[in-house]
Amino acid sequence: MKRQTKLTAQEQEQLDARQQQAAAAAPREFASVEEMLRHDAQCTPVPPAIARRLEKSVRDLPPPPARAWWRRFFGS
Amino acid sequence: MSEPLAEREGPDAPQAGLAPSAFADLYTRHSRAIYYLCLRLLNDPGKAEDATHDVFLKAFCKRNQFRGESSWRTWLYRIAINHCRNLLAAWHERHMLSNADEALWENTAARTDSPLRVVEIRELGERIQQALAGLPGEYRLLLLLVADEELSYEQVGALTGQSADAVRGKLHRARKAFIVRFRQTE
Repeated sequence: MKRQTKLTAQEQEQLDARQQQAAAAAPREFASVEEMLRHDAQCTPVPPAIARRLEKSVRDLPPPPARAWWRRFFGS
Repeated sequence: MSEPLAEREGPDAPQAGLAPSAFADLYTRHSRAIYYLCLRLLNDPGKAEDATHDVFLKAFCKRNQFRGESSWRTWLYRIAINHCRNLLAAWHERHMLSNADEALWENTAARTDSPLRVVEIRELGERIQQALAGLPGEYRLLLLLVADEELSYEQVGALTGQSADAVRGKLHRARKAFIVRFRQTE
């Protein structure tokens, strides 16, 4: 009968970490330039500061000008 | 976008105009592609950050001018490309390509069908940046756009002002030039 061993959560975490390190250290081949660039793009995080700045910039925008009376009148 | 905006509803398909409430999802879906393009075109993380902010702010201000004739992605790319071109022109950072470089690529036996092997994945971004920086601007832009699977050759052609066939033709030379430059970074 096959003996099964269960890993504890800590052992599983250590195993996952080792596998991730091994994967990061292993050579990698890309079939094309595009594949390499796609991988690079996926590994390139967008700085979170951009979203914060953008949110502030959008909030600080002046309100859109009111429509001129003749535009409202003629419905254009 | 950050948390407060991210909770709002967003667009899934191209549509005319864009409600301010959907802008957060637009950012979430496309910011990585736009930031990556700006980063690799400008070769400076700080400038890329500024440019990405400016591109999305322009898009927000002009969102009502979007007529749905292209995808949001293509529209944002167009704004980003124009913005980066203006910055590069202002900074006089446009690289001129000498004939000697052209000859180097043409005469180098760089197989475009052989895999590109990378030992140190951590250095990949730096090596890609170096290789791209050594290419003419047109090749650089072409490779970055074609690498985006959401864009067809027709859309890349529309963004770069040429036909899809011209894109296909130049792409082969662009790949070859990139591979030569990339292997020089080893």
